[in-house]
Amino acid sequence: MLNLINSDKRWVRWATFAAGLLLGLVIWEIVGWSFNPAFMAPFIGGDGHPGAGTRLVAFFGDEEFIDSFASSARLFATGFAIAVVTAIPFGILLARLTWLRISLESYILVLYVTPMVALIPFILSIMGFGFWPKVLVVVLFAFFPILYNTLEGARSVKPELLEVARSFRTSELAIWRDVLIPYTLPFALTGVRQALGRALVGMIAAEFFLSTSGLGEELMVASRNFNMASVLATIILVTVIGVILMRLAQSLEQRFAAWRGIEQ
Amino acid sequence: MSQAASNLVHTVSGTGTSADDPSSAPTRIAISGAGKKYGELQVFKDINLTFGNGEIVTVVGPSGCGKTTLLRCIDGLIPLSEGEVKIEGSPINGPREGVAMVFQHFGLFPWKTVYQNVAYGLKLARHPAAEIKEKVPYFINLVGLSGFETAFPYQLSGGMQQRCGLARALAMEPHVLLMDEPFAAVDAQTREILQFELLKIWELRPLTMVFVTHSIEEAVLMGHRVVVLKGRPSGVHEVIDVDLPAPRDRGTLGHPRFTEVREHVWSTLMDEVRAAEFEV
Ligand SMILES: Nc1ncnc2c1ncn2[C@@H]1O[C@H](COP(=O)(O)OP(=O)(O)OP(=O)(O)O)[C@@H](O)[C@H]1O
Ligand SMILES: [Mg+2]
Repeated sequence: MLNLINSDKRWVRWATFAAGLLLGLVIWEIVGWSFNPAFMAPFIGGDGHPGAGTRLVAFFGDEEFIDSFASSARLFATGFAIAVVTAIPFGILLARLTWLRISLESYILVLYVTPMVALIPFILSIMGFGFWPKVLVVVLFAFFPILYNTLEGARSVKPELLEVARSFRTSELAIWRDVLIPYTLPFALTGVRQALGRALVGMIAAEFFLSTSGLGEELMVASRNFNMASVLATIILVTVIGVILMRLAQSLEQRFAAWRGIEQ
Repeated sequence: MSQAASNLVHTVSGTGTSADDPSSAPTRIAISGAGKKYGELQVFKDINLTFGNGEIVTVVGPSGCGKTTLLRCIDGLIPLSEGEVKIEGSPINGPREGVAMVFQHFGLFPWKTVYQNVAYGLKLARHPAAEIKEKVPYFINLVGLSGFETAFPYQLSGGMQQRCGLARALAMEPHVLLMDEPFAAVDAQTREILQFELLKIWELRPLTMVFVTHSIEEAVLMGHRVVVLKGRPSGVHEVIDVDLPAPRDRGTLGHPRFTEVREHVWSTLMDEVRAAEFEV
């Protein structure tokens, strides 16, 4: 029996995984039923105890909720895309220009560790309400992990490879295309993966504290109404999306790091 | 293979006749009063050398005497501290066309396959796709890497990586080939095969080669002249005319002159090693 549980056969691993998940849901269900529905909701639920999982399924038929979801998705995608396309080139540029890196290094480190939520009041007072201030929040949350990882990666490019490139009379543009970007991409994608989680937090925070909208608004309204099933359903949705995106980033990372081979 | 080679590799104008007596051929590279400092460290100084068109010059010297540094200066990767290097009469101030380098550290791009690495220089110089498709497999085959076109460098042994670096440089069909211990990581048999392959390539298309090596035998076998670097800071201690009949092949190894030159280079270098021992 123990042998079977510890075996690394594919189906055993899956069964163990499924059993863990199932156990968690069962505990959730029991806890959910034993509380007042204003404080806690079970997963499946029933009479007088609306369930989070059931609510999540119902969301897919709820037009208003789908609109909120689309609005959040737009905010997230815009902010995240801006962060990725600015942070990666900027990180490589910093690695290329030593003086720029040295002059900005301390700021980058400070901003990397700054809790970005603290900046939201400033953004509110400077930019007010609307779509773009919220985008800025998402960008700020995502930008620095990507920048930091890209910079560290680009700085570790082997000088010998740059020398080879120069020996073949590679132009600066081609050095970026043929050496810096392929070398740095796996590092940058590590940053992208870290940034995904942060950007989701940024998205919800922006929707809470700036003009309320999207899933953040759904969460806020539901919790004000003590609608725990909706609160938990929304959280599950955001979490699951986060996990899926991270997995995607991870597989991209592995795809672009294939050349590192076993040394990896 | 040489049939295919003669079809593919076109001769450079003006080098056709130099094969017989390379040292009297017009000057391809002229180094005058060359010195290099890394900060306080004077690596070499006052080096004066000329390399003829289609000449093979081998460079030997103790480790750390600045052989790699000298090649990097000739390639234009780093500037000299004193003096100058002229290629075809014009001083160099950066890497130039027609000069290719084989690196001691291989310098393969780890995210490119063997094929992509060999094609790198050709692609960069915007050679037509059809030409690249023809040349790349030819040079991969020449260095004996057929079948490994899609392998990544981490999947190759050190010797195979070095051969890939050699193919990448040869594919450029340069006038000047700078080679930094190109066969150091290769086993003895492969090394011999590659040495004679390289000589064959040279017969087809006599390019100027500056060939750094730690192996005295290799220096004498390959070189029309052997340059011995010595001292601290190092300088040209001696330039030996090898004066062995062309073509160089396995028979050359048994030639009395080969043994004579080899012994001469050996004793010159051993003096240095002994001197270094006493210094310590
Ligand atoms: N970029 C550099 N900065 C400072 N010193 C350097 C640099 N490159 C080489 N050196 C020093 O210059 C000297 C010559 O180095 P070089 O690599 O040219 O030697 P080499 O003759 O090629 O040695 P080997 O036979 O071991 O390859 C060494 O003392 C080395 O420490
Ligand atoms: Mg060296």
